[in-house]
Amino acid sequence: MEPSTIIETVAGARYDHVIDLEKVRAAHRALASVQTIREADGNAAAAYASLQMWRAILFAGFPITPSTKWLETVSAVVRSGKVGAKQIKLLEAEHAVADYMAGAAAACRDLIVSTATSSVGLDHMTESTRSLGASGLGNVMLINVYRATANYPLCIEGDPSDTLAHRDDGWIQVACRGVQQIYDTILQLPCLGMHPEIMTPTMPGYYGIKDSHRSARLVMEADTAIHTFQDRWIGPAQLPGLINGDTAFGNCVTSNFFQGFKINQRERLERVFDILPEIGRDFARTFGRPGLEVVERACWPDDDAIDLAIVGMGPDVGTAAALAETESARHGLRIGVLAARLLTPFPDATYRQLLRKAKGVLVLNQAHHFGTGHLTLDITNACYTLETRPAVISCFAGMGGATVSDDTWRQMIAHACATIAKGEKLPPPIVVHEGVVLWPN
Amino acid sequence: MAKLVDVLQRDSCFQPGSTLCAGCMESIAFQNIGKLTDNGRKTIFALGTFCGEVSTLQYPNPVAWGRGEETPDDWTKSFGIMHHVFESAPSVAEGIADTAQQLFEIGALSQQVQVCSLSGDGGALSIGLRTLLHTIARGTSLTIFVLINEIFANTGFQYSPTTSLGSETSTTPVSELLPGNMTPPIDYLGLAVTAGAQRVVQASPAHPKFFNRMVEQGLSGSGTTIIFVPSPCITGWKYPDGETVHLAQLACETGFFPCYAKERGRPGELKFVELDATKRPPIEAFLGLQRRFQHLVRFNKATGTYDIRPGQEESVARIRDWIQHRLEQLQRLA
Ligand SMILES: Cc1ncc(C[n+]2csc(CCOP(=O)(O)OP(=O)(O)O)c2C)c(N)n1
Ligand code: SF4
Repeated sequence: MEPSTIIETVAGARYDHVIDLEKVRAAHRALASVQTIREADGNAAAAYASLQMWRAILFAGFPITPSTKWLETVSAVVRSGKVGAKQIKLLEAEHAVADYMAGAAAACRDLIVSTATSSVGLDHMTESTRSLGASGLGNVMLINVYRATANYPLCIEGDPSDTLAHRDDGWIQVACRGVQQIYDTILQLPCLGMHPEIMTPTMPGYYGIKDSHRSARLVMEADTAIHTFQDRWIGPAQLPGLINGDTAFGNCVTSNFFQGFKINQRERLERVFDILPEIGRDFARTFGRPGLEVVERACWPDDDAIDLAIVGMGPDVGTAAALAETESARHGLRIGVLAARLLTPFPDATYRQLLRKAKGVLVLNQAHHFGTGHLTLDITNACYTLETRPAVISCFAGMGGATVSDDTWRQMIAHACATIAKGEKLPPPIVVHEGVVLWPN
Repeated sequence: MAKLVDVLQRDSCFQPGSTLCAGCMESIAFQNIGKLTDNGRKTIFALGTFCGEVSTLQYPNPVAWGRGEETPDDWTKSFGIMHHVFESAPSVAEGIADTAQQLFEIGALSQQVQVCSLSGDGGALSIGLRTLLHTIARGTSLTIFVLINEIFANTGFQYSPTTSLGSETSTTPVSELLPGNMTPPIDYLGLAVTAGAQRVVQASPAHPKFFNRMVEQGLSGSGTTIIFVPSPCITGWKYPDGETVHLAQLACETGFFPCYAKERGRPGELKFVELDATKRPPIEAFLGLQRRFQHLVRFNKATGTYDIRPGQEESVARIRDWIQHRLEQLQRLA
């Protein structure tokens, strides 16, 4: 063969003549030849986005509510032959799915391998997701359809305790709300994960039932437009894969060398803060819809001049945004609403900047946590160095996927306003359901 | 089949630099597999966590894998290796093989690659039994090697589901109450056959021609080939230096680890072992060489052979019965 195409890299040699990616691209058949508007639920939207990428030729999965429809949709489309030479692998358990994806992604770093799972399905993968997080395989995407994890009691509705329990796995985690945002996020995340300065697997997530099973209008872009966009960000992988390389993955090291690997992983994750918004801006320019951002200003003034900031994630944040004006008038405080997008790495600096003028921050936690709440801990940390530290008011609502109703929001906002008035800085968390404070009682 | 002398000339993908114990059968197996895979096709290995991994892929020690000191000019001589989690090797290998196959079918890869999975028996048959059997059942073209040393060696020689009856391990110590392990080993050959493997093989480098033929068939054939490699562990089995190959031969001849080959849909074949117990060497000869069985047998200076210790007749008879039962079972497997 031609030695001139053998490139030495830090991870071994790469043989560039071995895989002809143009053939992979040519084998793709478009799911949408032009921009199309249709109705879809979150799972279907996620499946369509996964299928429209030419680099995605292999999918894997195992069913679990509420993510199952992603698997069914991908299977049905792949087996119809509509999208060309793609394969779906139905494995015997989620652990095997994660292991299989590790092998597939390492085999060829230029291809995107994806799956969807929820709850204990994600937990079942844990051994493998922790390894993948540090593997450098940014071409793995795990769509996490949020659902409570503990099976005592088993609850199949969507709260994000699964994703929040996996904050330390090392993946880039991005929360979505609404069908369109789910679709758009999945199209953008491989650009981030596979970026040569990041090389970290991605975990887009959305709420089970509330978003996975709710239908809405979806603008599906033409496959060709998606490819042009993605190709601007995803170039041929610089490091060798198992097929086109003379290389080794997953070596053991002594603690002495472990440090360097972890620092490198941290540096790669830190690049997310700069590169994610760049990708988002390019997406917005290309498709005319908001692209990726670390925090979504659901209802927020340009000058950040608010008194009470509300920070939450998922579709219930939309309810808060809808109530912001009337609640501002009722309490005589300017209320702003932020929807968390980038969960890991957590964008402390962005929150610090946004919250610098706030008197208080109401943090909505929707997953059980014995302490003050997953999001609360991060927000408190982000605000710690602010000159005027806002009160951090931690609320739990929507656990187990319960709706965070108008009454629940009003109750939490009233509690937050009272806290600000009293000058308290970090009151104990409260648990609210259907407008009633359940704890402390 | 390539001649043994020709195979010996090939470039092994297993290089000096491993920290496997001197006298470890895994090292001998890797050396042979390493040469047999130098056959004009690109080779990729998926490894579980086991001695064969932690002792060969330890940064910054030299990685003991790869063909030659220099990057090969010829891609088919290049080598890819991946260690993932303990039990994962078959699933990881399947992901690699499917990706390569898919690229090949699309026309993006001009030549097929050969993918091998390597694990210890603990990784494959204890924690990883589920994934092993399902990978076999799906029939992907793979060669799966399982190194059978009957213990979790890497963590300090604990009992695993393949541990022989009567064996002392660090979690089945011999006590006044119990003579070592009391649980019969799992019937891994039967399980692999039932799962539908294209080829189920038990072969040791101690029988080099048979071993090489089986590995070559696995690498060149379609479907899943699983090769169980009995791997005397000098440190865990506690036997004298220099006895590894001899012990592996005895393991086969006494029926502990019979060489065996079965193609799907055809009767299996026992090799280098007699079905008639009276024609086999006594199992005491195998047990006696290893200190893990010293509570069962002892050396008789007068006869130069090993005798059963008084009071242990029942334990040794149990091992003998188990061996006979399993050999007959293997013979019957259609
Ligand atoms: C989930 C998990 N549990 C336990 C371990 C610890 N562990 C590492 S290697 C090993 C034993 C390996 O035994 P085997 O597969 O028989 O290979 P050997 O070391 O004997 O070659 C164990 C128990 C692990 N790595 N992962
Ligand atoms: S402990 Fe046993 S299996 Fe492990 S390297 Fe040593 S001899 Fe080989």
